[in-house]
Amino acid sequence: MLRTVKPKNARSKRVLDARMPKEVEDVRTAIFVKGTHTGEVLNGVMKDLMALKRPAAVSFSKKNDIHPFDSASSSTSTSSLEFWANKNDASLFLVGQSNKKRPNGLIFVRMYDGRVLDMLEVGVEEFTGMADFKTPKSTPGHKPLMHFASELFDTHPRFMQLKSMLMSFFNGEEVDEICLPGIEHVISISLAPTPPSLNTTSDTPTSLPKVHLRTYTIRLLSSGTRIPRVELTPMGPSLDMVLRRHEAADAEMLKQALRRPKLKKKEVEQGLGKKRKNMEVDEMGDLRGRVHVGTQDLSKLQTRKMKGLKDDEERPGKRSKTSS
Amino acid sequence: MDVSNILASHAAKYQSVTVEKETSLDVDVGYLTVVDPNPIDEDSYKSNLEEHLQSLARDGIQSLLSSLFTLPTKSSDDGPLAQLPPPKIQLPRAKPLPKPKPPTKWEQFAAAKGIQKKRKDRKEWDEERQEWVNRWGKDGKNKQTEEQWITEVPLNADVDYDPRKVAREERKARVAKNEKQRQGNLARAQGPSSSVADTNPREQRKKEITKSLSSARISTASMGRFDKKLEGEKKIRGVKRKFDANEQPVEHEKNASLALLSKMESDAKKTRAAPPSGDGVVNVRKAVRFASKGQGGIALGRESSGGSTKRKQGAKRR
Repeated sequence: MLRTVKPKNARSKRVLDARMPKEVEDVRTAIFVKGTHTGEVLNGVMKDLMALKRPAAVSFSKKNDIHPFDSASSSTSTSSLEFWANKNDASLFLVGQSNKKRPNGLIFVRMYDGRVLDMLEVGVEEFTGMADFKTPKSTPGHKPLMHFASELFDTHPRFMQLKSMLMSFFNGEEVDEICLPGIEHVISISLAPTPPSLNTTSDTPTSLPKVHLRTYTIRLLSSGTRIPRVELTPMGPSLDMVLRRHEAADAEMLKQALRRPKLKKKEVEQGLGKKRKNMEVDEMGDLRGRVHVGTQDLSKLQTRKMKGLKDDEERPGKRSKTSS
Repeated sequence: MDVSNILASHAAKYQSVTVEKETSLDVDVGYLTVVDPNPIDEDSYKSNLEEHLQSLARDGIQSLLSSLFTLPTKSSDDGPLAQLPPPKIQLPRAKPLPKPKPPTKWEQFAAAKGIQKKRKDRKEWDEERQEWVNRWGKDGKNKQTEEQWITEVPLNADVDYDPRKVAREERKARVAKNEKQRQGNLARAQGPSSSVADTNPREQRKKEITKSLSSARISTASMGRFDKKLEGEKKIRGVKRKFDANEQPVEHEKNASLALLSKMESDAKKTRAAPPSGDGVVNVRKAVRFASKGQGGIALGRESSGGSTKRKQGAKRR
């Protein structure tokens, strides 16, 4: 367990305060870890992915004997990850590990509250680095746009996890505003055509379609309307990957991690949260409501009282007269 | 005049910014993400992979940008800032939600009484010097009496009465009181078991082991007297008895006796020691004492009822 430190001066106190949980979180820092053996391909992949992730990235230059999926040996599995996460205030890991059985493996690890939330391993099959494309590159630190193409990203649990993981990795920061000229590049993740035999139960990695990760820079051309026309230029890196091992998130922990802060009164008035019927805010900022009245019972409507219109039952005296 | 050419070119231009798909794209502007739920077209995938991927991405990004560029914008030095809506997709957080700070005793009281928080200015107006001075800190207003070169001394003051020293001590006492209250709030926020030894699991375990070991050592018939001693084993030390000194100042003795007597004598003292009932926000006893100017609750009740009856009598007479 990491020692809890009491800050001794104002500077370290500020640092520790910045690490405290926040309502709107900062961007997740990723640590790039090399396993016992990484080939040339993996080194290139990790270097380029780090270039995309920068500045919220930390690189571990030394080799580490780490096997996150190997739960039998706890000393080399997740405990070191948790230690590093605490030390560096990071909540994402990218572990590169290449061996004969699983060549060019990349393991994405996502943390929650200093513990491992879920893990995902992909094998890199094809890789073209950023330097191989002689095209303009994006500025480090700019937010990418993300594009996912395939119906499996909405239906298949493995690909849903992949989508969520990659979004956390590249784009997981909530921002209220973005500078439009600052939008420079796209990370596009697309799948091979879905094989007809695939369903959610068949989980063998061979039957899962390939994943293509491409990065492009954006050129905006004028279209005569307010919305510009988009042209893409390959930027690199481009990766072709297959899904391998994975570990889904613990249900209880995921529930904790998906908790949202309570909505502010102002946000509720803007129409967030629970759906509110019959209420709207008009242009002046006033809250206006519509009230619905049920159907009126017209038979009980009080009209003008006249002697002749009165029912017989209402005048018992008269009825007794007629009956006798 | 033939305008079909112009129309066609306009249509081509316009078409290029709209994207037609079988299933409409799922755009999450908050996370700058677009998901294309259409199945991948096998023919174009196999014929030319890179081109297929790029055109897919272009279509997706075009629709994402169309929704981005229609958002309301604010202008800034770097260009227009699009105001993003909150994201639709839920991503797990990296850290748990921050816990709300437990309210201090004053905050509880203020909430119960409906007292609004007022922010005090750091500076205060000095009438004599006709300028703004610090409320505290360097040349602070709170140190004025200590630092002015002449100070009025009360008439009945001692010979060695030093107004500067008195003022300084008062100020120091205020600071100490505030610090004490702050520590109290911290302790209350941490909960009942606040000491380090209680919370640290290692310390707890250590304590437990020591306790069970010492009880095991005196659990033989001879209470551990004839047991084999291990090397370096220490004797169990119990609580040492302590006696008061034989000769004490009279003051001490008097105080001790008075304390004992007051403990024995009155029930009122006992109830005072008990924790106040109710929500504990308002000290009722103190409030009554204040309202009745130290006369007590009965006197307060008598006074209010007596006053009203007098007035009534006066009305009758008239």
